[in-house]
Amino acid sequence: MTDKKSQDIDLRTTETGFKYHRGSALSIFKSDRYEDFIALACALLIAFGVFVLVR
Amino acid sequence: MGVLLLVHGFLVAGGHLGGTMKYLNVAKAAGEMTNLSYIFGAIAVVVGLWHLLGSHKEGNADYYLSTVAGGVFILFIAMIVKWYLDPWVAVLGRALGPIAGTAARPTYLHTVLGLNYIVIGIVAGMIIVNVFRIPDWAHNGVRLSRLGLKTGVILLGSLYSLGELAKLGQLSVVMIGVFVLGSAWLVLLIGARRKISNSMGGVLAAGVGVCGVSAAVAAAPVVKARSDEIAYTIGTILVFGVICMFLFPVVGHGLGMSYVQFGAWAGTGILNSAQVAGAALAYQPTGNLETLKVGEIFNITRVLFLPIIVMWLAIWYVRRESAAGVSVQQVDTTRIIIEKFPVFVLGFIFMFALASTGAFSKGMIPAFRDWLTWLFAFGLTGLGMQITYAAMRQAGGQPLVIGSVVGVLKAVLSLIVVLMFVRETI
Repeated sequence: MTDKKSQDIDLRTTETGFKYHRGSALSIFKSDRYEDFIALACALLIAFGVFVLVR
Repeated sequence: MGVLLLVHGFLVAGGHLGGTMKYLNVAKAAGEMTNLSYIFGAIAVVVGLWHLLGSHKEGNADYYLSTVAGGVFILFIAMIVKWYLDPWVAVLGRALGPIAGTAARPTYLHTVLGLNYIVIGIVAGMIIVNVFRIPDWAHNGVRLSRLGLKTGVILLGSLYSLGELAKLGQLSVVMIGVFVLGSAWLVLLIGARRKISNSMGGVLAAGVGVCGVSAAVAAAPVVKARSDEIAYTIGTILVFGVICMFLFPVVGHGLGMSYVQFGAWAGTGILNSAQVAGAALAYQPTGNLETLKVGEIFNITRVLFLPIIVMWLAIWYVRRESAAGVSVQQVDTTRIIIEKFPVFVLGFIFMFALASTGAFSKGMIPAFRDWLTWLFAFGLTGLGMQITYAAMRQAGGQPLVIGSVVGVLKAVLSLIVVLMFVRETI
């Protein structure tokens, strides 16, 4: 039906070798908390940009 | 991809797409189309050349820069959807004529079905990943979509007034308190009756009760859930969430719900956080984004319940296992609360506090709204690319039955409560 590699985009393998799909909880960061801080930094950067550029 | 964007920017700036843009009623977006195409086209070309010609060492810089290509890929799809597909669907919908409403305020088919850039973007993502393929070079970038959604939620904090937040906060704490705790409790109750394992019941209760996949993944270690149990839960939540995301706006339009009513219902009844934003923006994709504002307050309240639920499940699991004669290590609940607390909610509050100081003038609000719509369009198109057939196929067995029963019950009961008691406007 579709490309196997695309379908496996969210595949996780546990220490025991079990594989499962993690669905929509994918992230490029090592932890959720780290992602939260990066999101905060991005939001502040955008807000600063709006503050400076829009009058 | 970068060259395509640059060419697109050039065509729009030179007026070569004037006829198409006039037909689609997007002529007033020409400035945005030109600027965004040039900016992201240039970024993509520079990073692409670096990938092609630069020397690479495995490390953080290489890893994070590898996400740019995928990020631009998602943005490219979101741009096609927002600038061309969404307006085209609207043109077709209007050509079919009104299906309801009055002569002064006609309602068209595409509005009732919630077919706008958000829904079309998610569907486009799902089609790409399930029918075609995501290019290998874009895989890492698809993982950026949740960052886009979180950034959007934090930035949304700038749009609330103190009065709005107080009013919506009270309402959401009551509704979410009842429905989150109620549905988690019901899952545990039905789970015990149907003799599923305590770990399965625990992880399903977190997923169905709180905020979907993230909650299930967060709760899994404290109830010692096995990977197959997490997979069952994720599959159930995804299947249910996708159906809700498309169905809720249709029901909302059918019942003539106000923005506040729909936001409250979506924020309570839809299991997955990202899909709450999807449904809210599908209901009201433009304008003042009241539905998104209400839906996200409910969603944030729900996320704030996550540490409480995880702690409750940890204690519940230890008691149940101990009662069954299984030796289980005691859980450090304070550590769990600190570990599981969602920091991006603090970011949202910080942004709200910043806006409350008067740092942002009224003239800046439209710029914030533009950023928000793009961040959510990006995040939700990327989310669509993560809704794989393989992930949904994981659903099955008792978790699907229990999750569906409790999920439907939560959606229906919260709809009744919202229609009966929610009268607020913002």
